[in-house]
Amino acid sequence: MYGFYFDQTLCNGCKACQIACKDKHDNPIGVNWRRVVEYTGGSWQVDGETARPNVFSYYTSMACNHCEDPICVTVCPTTAMTKREDGTVYVDQSKCVGCRYCEWACPYSAPQFNAQTGHMSKCDLCYDYRQTGQDPACVDACPARALDWGPIEELRAKYGDQNAFEPLPDPSITRPNLVIKPHRDAQPFGHGTGFIANRQEI
Amino acid sequence: MAVDELPMILFTVISQMCVGAFVVLGLVQTVGGMKYSRRVVDRLADPALFALGPALVAGLIASMFHMNDVTHTFNVIRHWQSSWLSREIIFGVGFAGLGFLFAVLQVLKIGSEALRRVVAVATALFGVGLVVSQVMIYYSLVTVPAWSSWATWVQFFGTALLLGALAVGTAFVLVIARRQNRPASSQVEATNEGSYGQRLKDFFADRQVDDPQTGAQVAELMVGSVRACVVGAVLVAGALLVAMPVYVSGLAGSGEVGLLSVAHYGTGFAVVRFGLLALGALLLGVMAFYFAGFGTKKLRVLGFLMVGSFVLVFIGELMGRSLFYEAMVRVGV
Repeated sequence: MYGFYFDQTLCNGCKACQIACKDKHDNPIGVNWRRVVEYTGGSWQVDGETARPNVFSYYTSMACNHCEDPICVTVCPTTAMTKREDGTVYVDQSKCVGCRYCEWACPYSAPQFNAQTGHMSKCDLCYDYRQTGQDPACVDACPARALDWGPIEELRAKYGDQNAFEPLPDPSITRPNLVIKPHRDAQPFGHGTGFIANRQEI
Repeated sequence: MAVDELPMILFTVISQMCVGAFVVLGLVQTVGGMKYSRRVVDRLADPALFALGPALVAGLIASMFHMNDVTHTFNVIRHWQSSWLSREIIFGVGFAGLGFLFAVLQVLKIGSEALRRVVAVATALFGVGLVVSQVMIYYSLVTVPAWSSWATWVQFFGTALLLGALAVGTAFVLVIARRQNRPASSQVEATNEGSYGQRLKDFFADRQVDDPQTGAQVAELMVGSVRACVVGAVLVAGALLVAMPVYVSGLAGSGEVGLLSVAHYGTGFAVVRFGLLALGALLLGVMAFYFAGFGTKKLRVLGFLMVGSFVLVFIGELMGRSLFYEAMVRVGV
C-alpha cells in the first residue's frame, strides 16, 4: 500500500508541487490533482491591561491519499474508480460516465471533473513515473523537501502515524494512507479554531 | 438556483412525485374498492394512471443530462453491490418498466385482477425502493453533513407524498370535469369489449357514458379521494414547515461546515420556496377541501384550486430541491 508523507513544518505554501503535478499530467484550468490549503486563525492573548494578537497559519499540501477505505470507490456506480493491487486508486477512463458522485463524496477533493473528456480524473501517484523508477512529480518538485512517498508501512516507521489535523477530515472516514509531521501550531482534528483562508483556490 | 444540478432537481422531484402518485392511486384502488365496484374505481383511477407515464419518462430523460458521457451510461448499473446510485437506476428502470406493464394490463383489462394486483404491488415496491435509494445516495455521504441527515428522508418522502397526493387529486378532478364538458353527441355506450386497439382508442377518447348510478358513485369517490389527498398534502406540508426550520437551525449550530451549508436558507429564494408550499398546500388545499363538498356542482372552482395548488407546490418543491443541492458543503479540504 503506497501513500504520501507531508511535513507541515517545512512547507511555505509555494505550490510548486501543485504546478509540477498539473504540468506533468497536462491538466486543464480548474483541474488540480494536488492543492495547497492555507489554514488560518488566531485570538487575543490578554495579559493584564495588554491584549496581544496570537495568530497562526500553516499549509497542507493535499492530493489523493489512496485510502484504505476509499469512499470514491464505494460510491462510484460504474466501477470506474478502481483500486490497483498496490493500493493506489485510479479512474478507468473506459468506464467513467462523468456523474461526479465521487467528487461529492471525497473529503480530500481528490476526484476532479475534466470537462474536456467528460470523465473524472485524479492523482494516480504518477503511475507511469513509478514504472520507470522515478518519484511522483510533486515529491521531486518540492524545494523544501516537504513531500515523500512510498509503502505506507515504511513511511509510518520513518515518520510516525499522525494525520488527524485540521482542516483535514476525520481520518476514520476513509483511513487515508497519509503521514503528517505537524506544524507547531497544527490543531488536532475536531479542535480547530481557524478556517480555510483560500477556499477559492482549492 | 442550483442550475448545474437542474437535471437532478427535475429527475428526483418528478420521479418521487410519480412514486407517490402510484402509491396514492393504489390506496384509492384498495380503499375505494371496499365500498365501490371495480368498474367505479377504474373509471376514476385508470386515466390518472396514464398521466404518470409521460411524467416519469420526462424525469428519466432529465437524469441523462447528469451523465457527462452518455456513451458509458450502461456502466452505471455495474456497481449495484455497493453504490446507491447503481441501485437507484435499477429501481428507477424497474419502476418505470413494471409501471408501464401494469398500465397496459389495467387499461386493456388483460389478465386476472389478482395478477394485475401482483404487478401493481411489485411496481409500488420498486417505486419505494427508488425513493429509498435516492435518499441513501445523499444520506450515506457522511462527508456532507447537510445531506447525511434525517432531513433527507423527510424531504424526499415528503415530496413523494405531497406531490403524489396533489397530482392524483388534481387528475381526478380534471377527469370528471372533462367528462362533464364533452358534447352529448360524442358519447358512446360503455363497453369493455372489442379488440385491444379499440379498447385503447376508447380509453383515450374517454367518450363512454356511465349509467346514472355508476356516474354518481364515480363522482362520490372523486370527492372522497380529493378530500383525502388534500388532507394528506396539508399534513405533509405542515410537517415539512415544522421540520425544515429545526433541521436548518441544527445544521447552522454544528460548526463551520454546517454554517456554510445553510447559507442559501437565509435568502429570499428560500422564503418564496416555503411561501409557495404554505400557499399551495395549506391555503388552496383547505379551500379545495371545502369546495369538494359541493360535489360536481362547483367543479370549475375545484379544478382551478387543485391545479393551482399542484402547480404552486410543484414549483415550491423544485425550489426546495435546488436549496437541497446548494447545501452541499463537504467536510475536509
